[in-house]
Amino acid sequence: MRPKVVWLQGVTCNGNSHSFVNLPDIEDFLRCYEWLYHPVLPSSCTLDELPEIECDVLVLEGGLKSGWQKGEFDLEELFLQLAKNAKKVVAVGSCAVYGGVFREYDENITGVLFSGAKKTKLYESLVQKTVNIPGCPAHPEWIAFALEAKKPILDAFNRPKELYAYTVHSGCVRNEYFEWKVDAERFGTKEGCLYYKQGCQGPFTHGSCNKILWNETASKTRVGTPCFGCTEPDFPKRDLFMTKTYMGIPATMPLGVPKRAYLTITGIAKSFHISRLHKRVFDED
Amino acid sequence: MKIELIEKIEGEAFLDVSCRHGKVHEAYVRFPHYRGIEKILVGRDPLDALVINPRVCGICGHAHLQATVMVLEKLAKFEPNEKVKKIREITRFCEMVQNHIKWFYLVVFDRLGLSYDFRSVHAIIQKINTLAAIFSGQWPHSSYALPGGVTCDPSQLEILHAKRLVQSVQERFVSLVGAFDIKNLSKDLKRLYDRLEKRDLLYAGKSLDRFIAFGNDSYVQSSKILHGKVRPAKLHHIEEFSQEKSYAKGVTYKGKFYETGPLARTMLRGDHFVKQLHRRYKDSITTRIFARVYEVWTLLEKIDAHLRTLDIAEPSFVPITIPDGMAVEAVEAARGSLIHQVCIEEGKIAEYSIITPTQWNLSNAKNGESSIIQKALLGAKCEDTDIIFRSFDICSVCTTH
Repeated sequence: MRPKVVWLQGVTCNGNSHSFVNLPDIEDFLRCYEWLYHPVLPSSCTLDELPEIECDVLVLEGGLKSGWQKGEFDLEELFLQLAKNAKKVVAVGSCAVYGGVFREYDENITGVLFSGAKKTKLYESLVQKTVNIPGCPAHPEWIAFALEAKKPILDAFNRPKELYAYTVHSGCVRNEYFEWKVDAERFGTKEGCLYYKQGCQGPFTHGSCNKILWNETASKTRVGTPCFGCTEPDFPKRDLFMTKTYMGIPATMPLGVPKRAYLTITGIAKSFHISRLHKRVFDED
Repeated sequence: MKIELIEKIEGEAFLDVSCRHGKVHEAYVRFPHYRGIEKILVGRDPLDALVINPRVCGICGHAHLQATVMVLEKLAKFEPNEKVKKIREITRFCEMVQNHIKWFYLVVFDRLGLSYDFRSVHAIIQKINTLAAIFSGQWPHSSYALPGGVTCDPSQLEILHAKRLVQSVQERFVSLVGAFDIKNLSKDLKRLYDRLEKRDLLYAGKSLDRFIAFGNDSYVQSSKILHGKVRPAKLHHIEEFSQEKSYAKGVTYKGKFYETGPLARTMLRGDHFVKQLHRRYKDSITTRIFARVYEVWTLLEKIDAHLRTLDIAEPSFVPITIPDGMAVEAVEAARGSLIHQVCIEEGKIAEYSIITPTQWNLSNAKNGESSIIQKALLGAKCEDTDIIFRSFDICSVCTTH
């Protein structure tokens, strides 16, 4: 028997549905499940039929809000009805995990287990069977992993460590510039680290964006865009394209690095001038 | 009065229909949601809008990004160089292509009960999104374009990869849909035509035969067609109005409703294939559906041409300052003209306003004049409302931003 899946949308932009469709050879993956409902892909049920059915895996995309109309039903009631009998609940994307961007407008919009970083009223009843896959959107491989994996090891936000124990900084092609503290002078170049001026949150954001590449080819930092920390409960912060600093030092340290350690290393690195790292990558000389 | 829930349209909408003798007599569209994007932006740094606005929509977030960038650049009176313009068009056109392909097969073919080769269709979607990501880092939800340029600095390696991808997508696309030759339709275009004919739908869904686009790029220029005449279209003639029972606002141009989207664009461009269809079927669902598929072909050619002529030696970015003030700008998204308006005070966003393509096509009547969707539905067979509705390629999430 193939596991039955319902993919339910709450307060969302549909970004996770479309991200999931990017999964390579998706038809082979889809075949392993019985898709009762998906908002984009072929599935067998209509929205009207959802309260009457039972599923093994319930995927939620988007935030929960009481009173939010889902067809003829109340979103939260429909979610709870489906979640009650599901063996696994997968919260896909930062809205389903923390409430996400729309929580900025309405604090009653929450994730399944978390509202921002705080536990919701559903936490106790659903923590055992919920896997959180934050990201705005979540990467298709992460979503596939959450559906497939049996008992993955989870962190304090119920995120699989296999995907979120890394930082977005891991695997960034600009790491040499980080090591030697060479900043990007401006956007639109291949050179320099974006952590010092352009607001990159890669060094303290949990995610495997530079390990499992996006669309099989790239990532934000690989095209010179700073990481905006979209897998974390405080996404989206303010002033996203600049680094907040204290006395010239980034306000938020790389994950787990004490400020004293960071300052020591920075002092040493900056005392050397590595001329190769101050030239264009494709230098004509 | 019958209430139809229309689902899988990037969210849901309600269509209130009343029928007489099996024909639609009245129709009213309602969108039940609102997510407050415009409110979230207030008080933030203008650049934060580059991250917030793509989250209006998971399928056309890239158009929202570019509308944001362009309205801020307009405020700064900044004109980007050719390289930047081309890269932005490449990624935006990729987004339009993936949208049209998804709609054509997952919506139109599915609803008409036609089978299709899912594996081939999916390969096109995946490859065109990879092409975008070469420049934009990821699709969906990139923020790689910003006032002054783009964050990427592609090298020849990336351009060659992109060229291979567009070639592969072009070949796959033609092998699925056949050639755009009206006298010799083949493959999926032929199957679609035959099915529309068999279901007596060829002439269904005719609307007001007025078309509009506000975007200005290498593909289309801001203009409108009224009574068959092409004239320039100006942003200041746009009016929004509130609607009963719906969170979506209606929108008119000089008090009149206009259709926006691929049919409008191809008509404004004067594309021969679409004009031929229009001569016979007017603005029926036949012309509307074929125009959208035809647009895929044209956009792929544009992407290919841009990749061939891109001068990667030009700078990707020039730092610019965003002054206080107000500006409004439009960009062509998959479903039609997308309009962003911003007001900056003391360096922060004081007001932000978005008009989406679906608002143009799915307004409800005003001052006694039927809207685009209502005119398309009135008099149609009641069992055809779903396919006529979907022929506009509705985006519920955009409309209820």
